[in-house]
Parts: sequence; structure tokens; C-alpha cells
Amino acid sequence: MSSKREIASLHKVVKNYGEGKVLTKALRGISMKILEGDFSVMMGPSGCGKSTLLNIIGGLDRTTSGEVKFNDENFNTLSNKALSLIRRQHIGFVFQNYNLLPVLNAYENAEYVLMLQGVAPAKRREKVMHLFQEMGLDGLENRYPRELSGGQQQRVAIARAVVTEPQLVLADEITANVDSETAQSLLELMATLNKNNSTTFLFSTHDPAVIKFAKKIIILKDGIIHSEKASIEETGQFAHR
Amino acid sequence: MKLVKISWRNLWRNSTRTNVTITAVALCIAILIIFQSLIIGLIGKAVHNTTNLVVGEVQIHAIGYLDDRSIYKSLKNVDKIRAVAKENNIGMVERSYGFGLISSGTKSAGTQFWGIDPESELKYFDFANHIDEGNFLTKTSLKKVVLGNKLARSLAAELGTELVIFVQGADGSLGNELFYVTGILGNVADNIDRGAAIILRDDFDILFSTNNLIHEIALNSNGKLEAEEIQKLMSAKAAGVAVETWKELMPTIAIMTEKMSVFMLTMFSLIFTIAASLGVMNTLVMSTYDRMKEFGIIRAIGATPWLIIRQVSLEAILLTFLASIIGTVIGLSIAIYLQVYGIDISGKGNLAFGGIVFDPIWRASVSLKSVFLPVVLMMLTSIVASIYPASIAARIKPVEAIHYKP
Ligand SMILES: Nc1ncnc2c1ncn2[C@@H]1O[C@H](COP(=O)(O)OP(=O)(O)OP(=O)(O)O)[C@@H](O)[C@H]1O
Ligand SMILES: [Mg+2]
Repeated sequence: MSSKREIASLHKVVKNYGEGKVLTKALRGISMKILEGDFSVMMGPSGCGKSTLLNIIGGLDRTTSGEVKFNDENFNTLSNKALSLIRRQHIGFVFQNYNLLPVLNAYENAEYVLMLQGVAPAKRREKVMHLFQEMGLDGLENRYPRELSGGQQQRVAIARAVVTEPQLVLADEITANVDSETAQSLLELMATLNKNNSTTFLFSTHDPAVIKFAKKIIILKDGIIHSEKASIEETGQFAHR
Repeated sequence: MKLVKISWRNLWRNSTRTNVTITAVALCIAILIIFQSLIIGLIGKAVHNTTNLVVGEVQIHAIGYLDDRSIYKSLKNVDKIRAVAKENNIGMVERSYGFGLISSGTKSAGTQFWGIDPESELKYFDFANHIDEGNFLTKTSLKKVVLGNKLARSLAAELGTELVIFVQGADGSLGNELFYVTGILGNVADNIDRGAAIILRDDFDILFSTNNLIHEIALNSNGKLEAEEIQKLMSAKAAGVAVETWKELMPTIAIMTEKMSVFMLTMFSLIFTIAASLGVMNTLVMSTYDRMKEFGIIRAIGATPWLIIRQVSLEAILLTFLASIIGTVIGLSIAIYLQVYGIDISGKGNLAFGGIVFDPIWRASVSLKSVFLPVVLMMLTSIVASIYPASIAARIKPVEAIHYKP
């Protein structure tokens, strides 16, 4: 397991919001590593800092102190533009509220990051169509987000995040707004991607269904890592959960 | 999927807002096109009227003639100039000038005598039509003189009055002759009104004992050629003479008309394009705030701030482009109508001031420039106006924007 390549690492990451009376200590010193092929799930009570942590790992937000490294690059030393480019090339984001662009149809939403990457149209088409087929989205290419169900929208959002074959996919409560069956199929889909392409996933969730798929579980409390353990699959000790 | 396509679709999300803005910008462009053509028409016509009166677009003199107006500084090689004028269809008149004294009864005045050919003056210039009393000269008007109105007044001369003229001839002899007033000019130009006595070239030669001395050639293509073009044509063929355009001959008027048109066009263009671009800015700022969340998302999935600036600016460009098409169609139609039919501004008064003669019918003059300038100006100011909303969109923090609720 230690032979796995390290994608990202956090060292004593602190994140405060506001100042003075309204100061919120969202993260209070987090150190962790993300290794290639991880399928980790972050849990913890509401407000414990899960979303904040995901945003910081993805370079969407900056730390108050401590450092984040991604492929050995220190985020503290990178410009906003450089962070954008890292996200574009190596990181996929999936949000709780689908967050598709309303003026683009399903196909175009999925294609968007490939377009930013400068991939040729024919190649983009091939990749998106192939993925849509795999994800059961074929036939929905021309539908706009408002014409799709929540589960379908989330599927497109996942397609958008993984079509570029990123090193790391960050997924923040992606099953919160879909029914359990859909959640199950979304997770199966991602587990397959993890297995076949060794895409690395980091989830945040309250949903037991997600936890069932986890290879590693990180419990966050009050902005610090309370415990970290390998899951059922990896150790066989998690069965009574 | 292209950026343009995304911007285009974004433009039509709030179609009412976009339509209102497009209409406003289109109207501004239309008004600018109309105004621009009207001003160019007004000034152009005024300049044309002024050059048409007597000066012409280009004049040729012997070198140094205008400094001392010596009767001996006459033009040589007139044939060459005649040939060039004929070849290029440029109207041309030849004038002789000399100084002398006119007396009538107890009154007398120093005068500039013009020896002219009435046929060509009538054909190519306008001042001969500005006769207040009597008639202009004809080919056979020997010993007849046409006076500037102020000169006539100071001599208390009327039609038919007998005038005694004293001059020093070119050979040094003293010439004196009797002439009769056949016409008095209306207001033409100050120097003519105060001091011109116009006679036939034949009479001039007798009076001044000269033989066909020509001091001035005035050329008028009636606007068919630019003054500078005529100047070039003439300079190329006729060496050793001073070829000057009306702008060089009447610098005050040239500067005045130039300043007038530049001032009016600049003021007007500024007011309208600024107003219109504020409209564009307002639309884009509103739509930026409406879409904060989306900008956050595309930043999160890898769009750089610069890409967002491009996308917002592209929306401004598309909007202005549409408005330009509509504005050009409307503005051009009205401007062409005004070019053909014009606006009657005659009223009653004299439409001349400061030596510039305005036309009673104000016509627009439509040119590529009068369309091009407003459109380009509007495009540029729209792009500038989009910088503010674009920078709002580009500067957002993705995390906050994703959770932004408008
Ligand atoms: N932009 C912000 N400004 C101020 N405080 C913030 C901001 N974002 C988050 N916080 C605070 O930081 C803490 C951590 O928030 P975070 O969203 O990371 O929690 P979470 O674990 O994702 O919660 P949930 O399970 O409800 O999504 C909370 O106390 C929250 O109020
Ligand atoms: Mg959260």
C-alpha cells in the first residue's frame, strides 16, 4: 500500500473564516495524504469542515496556514491562474447541487473541460459519447439540464468530472439530492472507474450507502481528523457498521 | 462548442433585457450615423459654397505674387495649366489684377481692378450671380464696371454713374479712362465688397497698358476632385509657380470648419456612445450577478479568469454587433433620405457668417466614414464598458460564487 504514488498531501492545514468575533476555525491543523487509487470517504457532523477541506485540496480555496501539495507542487506558491490550470488538467469536481451550466446541453456540459484543455472536437466527441454510453446517458446528449432529472444531472456532472481522466475526483455530498437507487448506481459507476482507470476519489458524505463503497474512511470532527481507518474491503473489520 | 456560441446563448437568457439594450444601442448608432452625415453634409456644403464663390479649390500665382501683388509678377506657361485643367475637367478662370484710383464727383477710393472673362466666371464660379443691382458684365461690356457694394456706397455710385479711373500702367505711363457702373454686387466677401472693381480683360489691358498679363488662375472642379489632388496635378505639370489649395489661401476658414466639425462630432459621439455603453455595462453587470454561481463553477472546473473576461466581453461584442447592424440599417436609410431631400433651413436671413456660406437646404452627406466611425466607436466603447462586469466575473472566488444566491 505504501508503494502507491502520492497525489496530494496536506501539512498542518488551518483554515479560518472571518475574523474577531465572527472568526470560524473551519480546519484546525489537518495533515493527510492522498494516494493514487484511493477511494476515500470523509464523514463527520455538519459544519466539521468537510467541504472546506475538499475545496482546499482542489485549490479552490486557500489555506490560512499550512500547506497543500499536489503532484509535489505547493499550492501556496501558485497563482490563481496556475491553480485553474491544475484543476483543468488533473482534478475533477462534483458538487451536491449538480451545478451544470444551464445554457449547455448534457453533451456540451460534459465536453466543456475537454474544450478548455484544447482537445480536438472529434476526439472530444469520441470521449464523451463513449462515457455517456458507459454511464447510461446515451440519448440524453441534447437535453438541457432543466430537462433532466436530478439523478441524470448528477450523472452528467460526474461525466464532466471524469471525462478528462483526472488524477483526482473530489465529490462533495453528491448523493445528498438523489434517491438511494440512483446513489447506488452513481457509486457503482465511480467504483468501476476507480478500479479500471485507478482514478482517485475523495468523497464527503453523510450517506451510509457511500460509506459502504469506501476503501478508506476519514472521520472529521471540529476541523481535525478524529480517526482514519481502512474499510471493510481492505481489512475485513468494518462489517458491523 | 465555441466560446462565441456560449456567449450567444447567454445573451438570450434574458431576452427582454438584451432586446431593450440592443434597441438602445442601435438607436444611438442610428442617431450618430444621421448626425455625422448631416454635419459632414453641412460643413462640406459650406466649404463648397465658399470655394465656389470666387476663390476656387486651388489657385495658381507667380511665386511671391500674393506677398506684394506687383503687376509685374504674372504667370508664365499658362498654356500648360490650361491643358491640365482641360484634361482633368477642372473649371478654370484667369484673372488680372491691378491697383488704381476711382473717383466719382467729389468722392474717390483706392481700388483693386479685376480683369476677367465673364463667361468663364459665370460658368465656374458663383459670385457673378450675387448681383444686387444691374447686371454682371458680358463679353461686350466694354468700359463697363461692376463694383463691390461697399465700394459703390463710399463712391455714392449708382447704376450708370460715370467713374473716372486713374492707374499707373505697366509701362510706367499714366492711364485714365471713363467707365460706367453696370452692376453692383451683393455681399460676397469682404475684400470684394470693399474694394473690387470688375472689368473685362480687354479693358484691363488697355487701362494698364498690358498684354494679357495673368496674375491668378482659380481652379474649381466643383467637388469632383479633392483640392489636394488638383494641387498635385498642377504642381506636377507647372513648375515655378505657387499652387495653393483653398485651405492654404483661407486658413481661418479651413481651421474654423475643421474645428466646427471635429468639435460637434466629438461632443455628440462622446455623449451618445457613453450613454449607450453605460446601457451595455448595466446589462452585463446585471447578467454577471445573475450568473455568479456559473462563473464559480467554470472557475472550479478549470476556466482561468482571462477566459471569463473573454466570455463576458464577447457578449458585449455580440450585442453591439447586432445593434450595429440594426442601427446601420435605420441610420443609413434616414441619412440617405436626408441626403436626397434635405432639411429646409432657409427661413429668411442670410446664411453666411465668418466668410462661410451655408446652404438653405441642409443635406446629409453619406459616406463610408459616417457609418464606419459610429460603429467602430460603439464597438470599442462597448468593449471598454464590458471590462468592469468582466472583471467582477473574473475576480470572484469560486467557493463563494458556487454558494452565491442571487
Ligand atoms: N464562506 C464562509 N464564511 C464563513 N464561514 C464559513 C464559510 N464556509 C464555511 N464556513 C464555516 O466553516 C465551517 C465548516 O464548514 P463546511 O462547509 O466545511 O462544513 P461541512 O462539514 O461541509 O458541513 P456540511 O456537512 O453541512 O456540508 C462551518 O462552521 C461553516 O459555518
Ligand atoms: Mg459541506
